[in-house]
Order: sequence, then C-alpha cells, then structure tokens
Amino acid sequence: LLINTDLMDGESPPGKPDNIKCRSPEKETFSCWWEPGSDGGLPTNYSLLYKTEGKNSYSECPDYKTSGPNSCYFDKKHTSIWTMYTIIVNATNELGTTTSDPQFVDVAYIVELRPPLNVTLSIIDDPPHLLVKWSPPSKADVKSGWVTVEYEVRFKSKKAQEWETLDAGKQRQLRVFSLNPSENYIVQVRCKSDHGFWSMWSPESYIQIPDNFPRKDMTLWIS
Amino acid sequence: CPNGAVNCQISTSDLFDRAVKLSHYIHSLSSEMFNEFDEQYAQGRGFIMKSIDTCHTSSLNTPEDKEQAQQIHHDDLLNLVLRVLRSWNDPLGHIVTEVQGIREAPDTILWKAVEIEEQTKRLLEGMEKIVGRFHPGDLGNEVYSLWSGPPEKQITDENSRLYAFYHLLHCLRRDSHKIDNYLKLLKCTLMHGSNC
Repeated sequence: LLINTDLMDGESPPGKPDNIKCRSPEKETFSCWWEPGSDGGLPTNYSLLYKTEGKNSYSECPDYKTSGPNSCYFDKKHTSIWTMYTIIVNATNELGTTTSDPQFVDVAYIVELRPPLNVTLSIIDDPPHLLVKWSPPSKADVKSGWVTVEYEVRFKSKKAQEWETLDAGKQRQLRVFSLNPSENYIVQVRCKSDHGFWSMWSPESYIQIPDNFPRKDMTLWIS
Repeated sequence: CPNGAVNCQISTSDLFDRAVKLSHYIHSLSSEMFNEFDEQYAQGRGFIMKSIDTCHTSSLNTPEDKEQAQQIHHDDLLNLVLRVLRSWNDPLGHIVTEVQGIREAPDTILWKAVEIEEQTKRLLEGMEKIVGRFHPGDLGNEVYSLWSGPPEKQITDENSRLYAFYHLLHCLRRDSHKIDNYLKLLKCTLMHGSNC
C-alpha cells in the first residue's frame, strides 16, 4: 500500500500546465499562453522552453512580461516563420517539476490579426444605404504585401436576435442596403490574414437609421 | 487571343493577379491535404516529433522572414519562386502515385493531389511568362532535380512509408505557403510600389 504523505498535507508537485496556445498578430512576432494547472499548495514557478527545427537543445522564453500572465513573447529577433517550434512549459515547486505536453508551432499557421480600426458608419441618401468604412488592423504590414487581409462585416438591429454577416473581401468599405427605418443598428468588422484565423470583432459601432429609409423587405425591381 | 485581335497581351498586373490566386488556391489545397492525412494516419504515431528531416528544397536558401524577403532583389526572388516550383515537379507526380497505393486513402486526398499537380504546372507557366516580361529571353530553363526520388521501393514497413509521405506533404504545405507569401509580396512591390 502506497500512501502519498504530500497529498495528506495538502501539498504536492504542481499540476500539468495545459492548453498552450500561440498566436501571431502579423507574421513577425508571436506569443504563447498556457493554463497553469494546480500549484500543489506551494509557491510555483513556470518556465517556457522552446526549440526550433534542427536544434538539439531548448532555450528559455525571452520575455515573460509583454503578453501578460502565463505567457511568453517572441520578438522579431526570436521569430522565424516556416520553422517548427517545439514548446513546453515546466511548472516547478519545492516538491518537483511537471512538464506540459509539447506544442508544435509554425508561425505561418497561427496568424490572428488585431481587429480592424476606425470603423465609421454614415448614411448615404441616394440611393439610401449605410456606408461602413474601416482601416486595416494595427501591427500588420499590409502595404508591403507581407500580410493580405480579408474582412467580414456583421450588423443587427438592437431589437434583433441574429446577426447578418457580409463578406467584404479585400475592400475597406461596404454598402449595406437592407436595413429597417427608424431602428438602431450595431455594426462590427473583423479580419483575417490569408490562411489565418479570424480576428476578434471590432468594438460595437451604432447608428440610427432615418425614418425615411426604404423598408428592408421592399421588392427589388430589376429593369 | 480573341479572334482576329492583335496585341491582345495580358497586362503583367493581370498575370500577377492570376498567379496570386493560383498560389493561394494551391496552398489551401496543400494545407487541407496535409491536415486530412495527419488526422487519418499520423495521429498517435509521433510523426511531428520525428519530422526533423529537412525538405528537399532547403538548399535553395529561400528568405526566412519579412526582412530577408524584402532585402533580396525582386529578380532573385522571382527566380527563387521558379526554382522552388520546378523542384516540385517530380515529387508532386510521386505524391499522386503514392496516394493510390495507400490503403483506404480517401478520394478527397487523391483529388487534391491531382489538382495540386495540375495547378502547380499552370502556376509555373504563368511565372515563366511573368519572369519573361521582366527579362525577355533570359529565362533559365534548368531542370532542378533537388529531390532524391522516392524512398527505396523495398521499404515495406508501413510506418516508414507513411512517415516519408507525411514528411513530403509537410514540405509541400510549407513551400506552397512560401511561394504564396513571396508572390503576394512581389505583386505589391512590383505592381503597386509597396503601397497595397
């Protein structure tokens, strides 16, 4: 019979750090975050170790501060794209060290841009529609073509339950025609780099649709 | 050319647009094919941990980040793209043959392999046209056989065969992403004065 005295004291080696998630906002730097697991009732230190393709030894995380608690930030100098990083997190307290499962990361496949900026809404009279404009996300170098961005716009009346979503492609503006007069609308925009993940939605923008706006369900006559 | 039209040359800018659409499509397919294969055959075999071999194209010394890609002269980058594309000719043919030999490989993987091979040929033709526009008559036509050929035929060990195939798909996914990224960069540099 094996009795774990540590557990009886309520103290144990740390639990396994879990769910290592890495994201790059522009294909030039990246950050990884992890969930710490239990601390075993003792002060616990975490260290992230990484190894790039072809290297035999692990190096320690270059920056634990920039991306917040339980994170590691890799600046440009420490970031290569098209290289596999093997990443592990060690949790250590005075009773021992527990190592996470390894996470394999290539910066090419973890790109998640910041949300688009400066979303502006304006009502155009002729023909009546809502014009949504925005700017590319911060950080991403869109001008050089290093990052290409696609956008999606969603909107709904404050009364409505469901969002309507429109694909804006690579454009930085979109015209919305099907809106109900006299209602207050919420509009958000998000973006995605080619082959990347969708960003978070931009903060909500609001607009009051004028009373004289044509009704959404009007028949469209095509001559 | 439409019937009877003279001088109907497509603009270089349109050629670039088409090339970028193709390279984007090819990478999407390669990525899906890799993921499908990974899910079906590689999980639990630790292939990703073993995958330390270099790709057959690694001797081409392609740019490794944005700074490098911007420092290299656009002519050299265009030529690198050509070389990488050419060096995939044989392995792509091999992938198509090999898929047919894998037990219970789903049709979607085969379809993608065939499609990637075809579209890569189209992309290579397009890129040769583009390079020809910048340097008429100076189109290197060397055949790059960087690939050392399929693994020994006598490898009967199923696991080794699957790993070799996994590694090739991994390299294809990476190289097709590089090509796509370089072309998007070149398009902005050469067609839009780096103001996309």
